[in-house]
Amino acid sequence: MSVAIAPEIRSTRLTSWQLLMTNRLAAAGLFVLVAILLLAALAPWLPLPNPNITDQPNRLHPPFSPGHLLGTDHLGRDILSRLLWGTRVSILVGLSATAIAAFFGSLIGLVAGYTGGRVDDVMMRLIDMLMAFPYILLALAIVAVLGPGLLNALYAIALVNIPFFARNIRGVTLSIRHREFVDAARLSGKGHTAVLFTEVLPNVLPVIVITMSTTVGWMILETAGLSFLGLGAQPPQADLGSMLGQGRAQLFTAPHVSMIPGLMIFALVMSINLLGDGVRDVLDPRLRSGALNRPMPVTSIEREREQPAERPGAALLEVDGLETGFRSGRSLTLAVKGVSFRLDRGECLGLIGESGSGKSVTALSLLGLVASPPGVIRNGAVYLGGRDVLAQSEQQIIAQRGARVAYVFQDPLTTLHPLYRVADQIAEAITAHNALGASEAHARAVALMETVGIRNARERASAYPHELSGGQRQRIGIAMALANDPDVIVADEPTTALDVTVQARILDLLRTLRRERGLALLLITHDFGVVAQVCDRVAVMKDGEIVEQGDTRAVLDAPRHDYTRRLIACVPELGQGRRFLDNVRPLFAPQRQETEA
Amino acid sequence: MNAILRGVASATLALALALAGPAAAQTPPNVLVVGQIAEPASLDPHVSTAANDFRIHVNIYDGLVRNKPGTLEIEPALATDWTISEDGLTYTFSLREGVTFHDGSPFDAETVKFNFDRMLDETHPFYETGPFPLSFNFASVEDVTVVDEMTVEFTLNEPFAPFMSNLASPTGLVVSPAAVEEFGEDYGRHPSGTGPFKFEEWESNARVVVSRNDAYWNGAPSLEAIVFRPITDANTRVAEMLSGGIDVLVETPPDNVATFRQDANFTVHEAVGPHVWYAMLNVKEGPFADKRVRQAVNYAVNKESLVDDVLQGTAEVSAGPIPPAFNWAHNDEVEPYPYDPERARELLAEAGAEGAELTFYVTEGGSGMLDPVPMGTAIQADLAAVGLEVDIETYEWNTFLAEVNPGLEGKADMAEMAWMTSDPDTLPYLTLRTEAWPENGGFNSSYYSNPQVDELLNSARTSTDPDERAELYKEVQAIVHEDAPWLFVANWKQNAVTTANVEGFQLQPDFSLVLRNVSKN
Amino acid sequence: MTAYIIKRLLTAIPVIIGLSVIVFLIMAMIPGDPALAILGSYATPENVERINRDLGLDRPLPEQYLIWITNLLQGDFGRSYILNRPVIDEVLERLGATMILAGTALVLCSIFGILAGVVSAVRQFGWTDRVVTFFVLIGISMPAFWLGLIFILLFAVQWRILPASGMYAVYGGGDLSDLIRHLILPAATLAIVATGVVARLTRAAMLEVLRQDFVRTARAKGLDERAVVYRHALRAALVSIIPVIGVQAGFVLGGSVYIETVFQWPGLGAMLVKAVSTRDLLLVQGGVLVAAALYVLVNLAADVAQAMLDPRLKS
Repeated sequence: MSVAIAPEIRSTRLTSWQLLMTNRLAAAGLFVLVAILLLAALAPWLPLPNPNITDQPNRLHPPFSPGHLLGTDHLGRDILSRLLWGTRVSILVGLSATAIAAFFGSLIGLVAGYTGGRVDDVMMRLIDMLMAFPYILLALAIVAVLGPGLLNALYAIALVNIPFFARNIRGVTLSIRHREFVDAARLSGKGHTAVLFTEVLPNVLPVIVITMSTTVGWMILETAGLSFLGLGAQPPQADLGSMLGQGRAQLFTAPHVSMIPGLMIFALVMSINLLGDGVRDVLDPRLRSGALNRPMPVTSIEREREQPAERPGAALLEVDGLETGFRSGRSLTLAVKGVSFRLDRGECLGLIGESGSGKSVTALSLLGLVASPPGVIRNGAVYLGGRDVLAQSEQQIIAQRGARVAYVFQDPLTTLHPLYRVADQIAEAITAHNALGASEAHARAVALMETVGIRNARERASAYPHELSGGQRQRIGIAMALANDPDVIVADEPTTALDVTVQARILDLLRTLRRERGLALLLITHDFGVVAQVCDRVAVMKDGEIVEQGDTRAVLDAPRHDYTRRLIACVPELGQGRRFLDNVRPLFAPQRQETEA
Repeated sequence: MNAILRGVASATLALALALAGPAAAQTPPNVLVVGQIAEPASLDPHVSTAANDFRIHVNIYDGLVRNKPGTLEIEPALATDWTISEDGLTYTFSLREGVTFHDGSPFDAETVKFNFDRMLDETHPFYETGPFPLSFNFASVEDVTVVDEMTVEFTLNEPFAPFMSNLASPTGLVVSPAAVEEFGEDYGRHPSGTGPFKFEEWESNARVVVSRNDAYWNGAPSLEAIVFRPITDANTRVAEMLSGGIDVLVETPPDNVATFRQDANFTVHEAVGPHVWYAMLNVKEGPFADKRVRQAVNYAVNKESLVDDVLQGTAEVSAGPIPPAFNWAHNDEVEPYPYDPERARELLAEAGAEGAELTFYVTEGGSGMLDPVPMGTAIQADLAAVGLEVDIETYEWNTFLAEVNPGLEGKADMAEMAWMTSDPDTLPYLTLRTEAWPENGGFNSSYYSNPQVDELLNSARTSTDPDERAELYKEVQAIVHEDAPWLFVANWKQNAVTTANVEGFQLQPDFSLVLRNVSKN
Repeated sequence: MTAYIIKRLLTAIPVIIGLSVIVFLIMAMIPGDPALAILGSYATPENVERINRDLGLDRPLPEQYLIWITNLLQGDFGRSYILNRPVIDEVLERLGATMILAGTALVLCSIFGILAGVVSAVRQFGWTDRVVTFFVLIGISMPAFWLGLIFILLFAVQWRILPASGMYAVYGGGDLSDLIRHLILPAATLAIVATGVVARLTRAAMLEVLRQDFVRTARAKGLDERAVVYRHALRAALVSIIPVIGVQAGFVLGGSVYIETVFQWPGLGAMLVKAVSTRDLLLVQGGVLVAAALYVLVNLAADVAQAMLDPRLKS
């Protein structure tokens, strides 16, 4: 896809902090966490009773008793005081265990992932062993070996969580160990250790940090679990888990003794998780750019200007003043800036431009297929048979997709569903608009496959996309577009991903189909060669605007716009050789300076 | 999506309603459901060591003799009477006629011989069905002889006063030789005895069921059956009792006893038993080598508060190594150390032990240990109040024993411990004699040594005259109290809760659970 | 496929053998031995020695291991020192109980986790998403044992609508509805945490997939949103969700230790904890072995299921 996002304007972009604060859950998490941390940190200076002084006669006082805001435990100790001191301990242990597990796990993951082969094999088998061992049991056994105490429980927790880090980090390391910069560093004579720590580690670090942020809460829970089983803090020291474990004996008679530390663990871990979630949303570049936003069924249409809903006597397809943009924070960056064109029945219009010129966005806007968020159609109308598509309801727009306007996309490997058989995918396009039995739809699908020139269509029908060649896949894409005899086919760079000979055959097919079926074709491309072969008319797009539009021959022969000339010059001719580059270079020289400036 | 959600929700609700049904669980009439603290290890009384198992055993088996209900006095059971020779070495028993095991085989003198030989003779064909951990209770038995069909004679290699009470203990229960021969090492899952109830089924981790033995020699019991159900978690056990899933609850956590006491639907039973809870003090080295420091900790710890508050009155303050349950041997003149922190500070100052640092081994649980962690913590706090700095190290029971039994030397200054015994001899003999230091194979892990005590104990053990023994034990108590090798803390009152419709229930001082006289309406 | 499964099973063998060596070593390093558990307070050195001799624990460790593994190869897992019964009997009984509990929890967490994940992905940033995310995080942030206690307190003690513990009623019962009644609380407790993890993962996977080109293709075909989300996006997302459910199985098995303890569920986890504390070596061995094998099999099943779902992985 060649949807490009224009450079964002810094001043209107939200800071990370603002972004975090707009996520109300994360903000709440942050405030709760800060409050807990503050209270825990200030425990030594707060006017609290000594957490270890027992006073048995005053045991099990309920919350809000005089002198004991949260009551007293089974030995008459002040619960509030123990709670705050215990929280300190639990947080420290959770953080340290995370750090230790992260350190050793990442080290193992890095070495195993980077070295590969035998070392990797052996290390991963060891990790497998740890994982196959029920983890609480392993922790129990380790504490039993090391002896009691919070520190030993910490080691046990850290150890059983090493596999988690090792596996994650190994995966990431594997994926980058043969990347160019790593190879380059190696070739430059750096030793393996140096490469590992100066080249690989910095790239893995963010993953380590994110993994840590997601495990801190889990670690606190597990430490509490071990303490609950009596393997953590030694009396009289308080930690949340042991408070809960010891208070359990009074579960029915004085539930607050165990409920309060339980609630604290919960509040602590919950706030960490809420915050961690929010922070990840902010830090992850893909989340931040909206690349992980769930696209709505139809692009959001927020037109600022009224458009007549119908235009009697219009051409088959008329686009009028279309403006489509992408929202980022509070700013909207237009990718299509007032585009108008028309397409008559049986006609082929080429929409040409370089990457980022807005041609694909234009094509997708026709039936609201621009992913939204962040896409927004801000103005303009799309008249299909005289009626404005953008004024119609979501259901109506969806009903016209594939039925009146069908799409053929660029890369058939990613645009076909990898898990369904090709004939089923075609049949699905048919049944989406016609109530048809399964076998009938299947038969039609096979017939369509024959139409688009797939040999042995009956056998190929049950193939999965990955089992077909690139050309065949694109033929499937075309068959799918033809399924409902649409009036218009929008082909978005249908041949770009294919090699030259296949490209020619696909173009042939499109031409034939157009001739035989009287289709109107909107062909999106960056290649004037393709336009010259197929299109009646051409519209040249640059920076979201149509700069020149006319009959193909006329534009080719006498391009009026400088940009058009440059695009035409980009079509290499056979035997041109080095001269091609010499021809092209001056055309782009000034522009390069612009971008560099 | 919404449709699916709604479907799931309504299905869940329907399921919940269908299953929830009428609320409380109901135990069946005339069947007693007992909430046990654990799955039994075995139903072979010679193999088991846990009080929990014995609660089942005493209802399936009889011994030659038994403790009279509610006391620790011996009364006839499978033996109708007996004689003891002058020198205390020969015991002759006349056996009860016409008793048969549940499997139909008859009870006779050969049976008795088989039982003791199996435990004690390594060449016995069924010795392999062991190990028999508590067989050392009968280690002094030289030989078991069949005099005639209904007379059996035990020959001891030295006079051994506790012999009769050991015979009345669960290790002295009599199993069916025929069943042992049939099931071999799996006998523990196919038990057969002569007791008031016969074994029906044992579903692992779920229940052991026994049913009425209509041919019981002492009159058939009223209950039709008893279900023993293992519920290891104390809270869950309480929850089951509250929700009506069990009729009898043993070892109720202290804090819940009050709840049941206030509820008319339940009856709380209590009985003192021969139990001692103490903290041994390392006499060999460190601050506790000084008697004044040992006495100081006895003054410093508020035992009343421990038993009344921490244990909620489920125990009484202890004064010495022999519990009051052995009323004939207990010295009532020895009073517990009073709570007197001032006196403790004085003693510590005299001994120059102010601010001493002590290591205290605490266990997380274990047989008879009551609430070891809160108890230890409370003791720690009391000692901190008189300026002693105590570091607690907690261990689970098994590790704890592995650390404590070989002796505290070089590791710790004090350690919790508790014992339940069937004879006043057992505890002091195993834990207070010089000869019982760990290197000699005893349990005197804190190295107390007083030649006078050694001598008193040795003569008490070989005397067969109860009055003489009583005097000797009373003297031991006075001396040990003064020497303070332990921090004396508590004697447990065992407790049980029954539903109000259970009648005839009585706890026994020997910690067994005799149910032959119980009925349920 | 068969070759793949066989290969996977073969690579699991060294893992499991290695594990059994580790178990032997760890158990040897833990102070104390089964004799102490058997004898309790009566564990004099003399008695301990006698019991150890009877149990064959006085032999050198490598010899004990050899004996164990030789017997194992003949299908004999040995006898538990503490329970006085064959290890295999105990382990299989416990395994059944654990599989019922963990299996139910796994099914519940898969259903509800995927459902919640899909809902919150589809309604991303809407209030439904926020509410679902909030509840999912509550599940992840709750100590499971604590939740179990609260459930007992409420459902069994307060309202008396569900049993507090065990697997079957003590008397009567024993049928399926009895089992389900006992299963509800522990399975729900165990499932809640795992549901959170699955839901979060499903949400992420769905959002990733919903952006992909083939989803746009599905839209361009004119499919309605339901078909786009469920038939196209969810189907593709499942491919990455299934292995995570496999990993969750490990956590559910591990977490069942607490739950089995709290709810008295007679499963493998509770058995193992007790076996470690009583140093019941052969029982620990048998239990760990079976738990590890179960873990390996569940993960293998997840991988096979993934391959079934994704034709690209089949070849």
